Amino acid sequence: MKREEIIEKLKEILVQADERMSDAIRNCELDSDLRTDLGLTSVGMLYTVIVIEETFGIRFENVGMNDFATLGDVVNYLEAHMNQ
Amino acid sequence: MNYLFYDFVKITAGLPGLLAFRPKLLYHDPGKRERIRGGALLIANHFGFFDPIYLQYAVWYRRMRFVCLQSFFDSRAGWLFEAVHCIPINRDNIGMDSIRTIIDSLKEEKLVAMFPEGHVNENTGIDPFKSGMVLMAMQSDKPIIPVYIRPRKHWYERLVLVIGEKVNVKEVSAGKTGMAAMEEVAAILKEKEEELKIQAEEWKR
Repeated sequence: MKREEIIEKLKEILVQADERMSDAIRNCELDSDLRTDLGLTSVGMLYTVIVIEETFGIRFENVGMNDFATLGDVVNYLEAHMNQ
Repeated sequence: MNYLFYDFVKITAGLPGLLAFRPKLLYHDPGKRERIRGGALLIANHFGFFDPIYLQYAVWYRRMRFVCLQSFFDSRAGWLFEAVHCIPINRDNIGMDSIRTIIDSLKEEKLVAMFPEGHVNENTGIDPFKSGMVLMAMQSDKPIIPVYIRPRKHWYERLVLVIGEKVNVKEVSAGKTGMAAMEEVAAILKEKEEELKIQAEEWKR
């Protein structure tokens, strides 16, 4: 999967997690902060990760939710683990 | 999973506790005084360190896994929490490993207990519930059962526990997922806890 496709899929998942933030999510950049810019709480992060795991068929091992600060961090993690 | 130590603690500490606390079990719907069977997420108000022990009196016939802070595991008494099969959760940086353990335990028909206020609440009211419990119940497809533990004002008072009805989160959220739906269910569960509190307060001290 290309990087652009991962970003688009990720934005879809984030909208699914919290539709109230859909405008901010659709217009966000890779350096957008998941918590302050996209309004994700710790539970929102967990929900997002569960949906990502189901969608991309990967597992988030030995990482905490605070290890991801920006949208770019998640994209980088996905890219690294999908290519393994 | 070896529960020998858990059962030892439960019996040796439980019997003297019965005399000291004289727990009184109430049911929100007295017509539904049925035992909790299968996997379920037990939630309760949290006003002190001994709440997990009190909660065990509400469901004395089942073993349960308590969700507790990672810092307890990192302390000198960490072995004890591990030996009684508590599930550690790092509040400062929650990992998927803890969440998977909780969801898997529920799917394995175990009883998992947690305190959705997320902290020890020394006030008289109940603080808003965090929605993490709803996520775990949704993912495991198991019900949430609210319990209210009435704080004792004097050592000679009976410990009063009120057990609420099972809440099927998927039914309550009408199949909706996402943060808005989970927060809504968490708010409904808090209302139910308030109802249990009123019932507990009506019981004579």
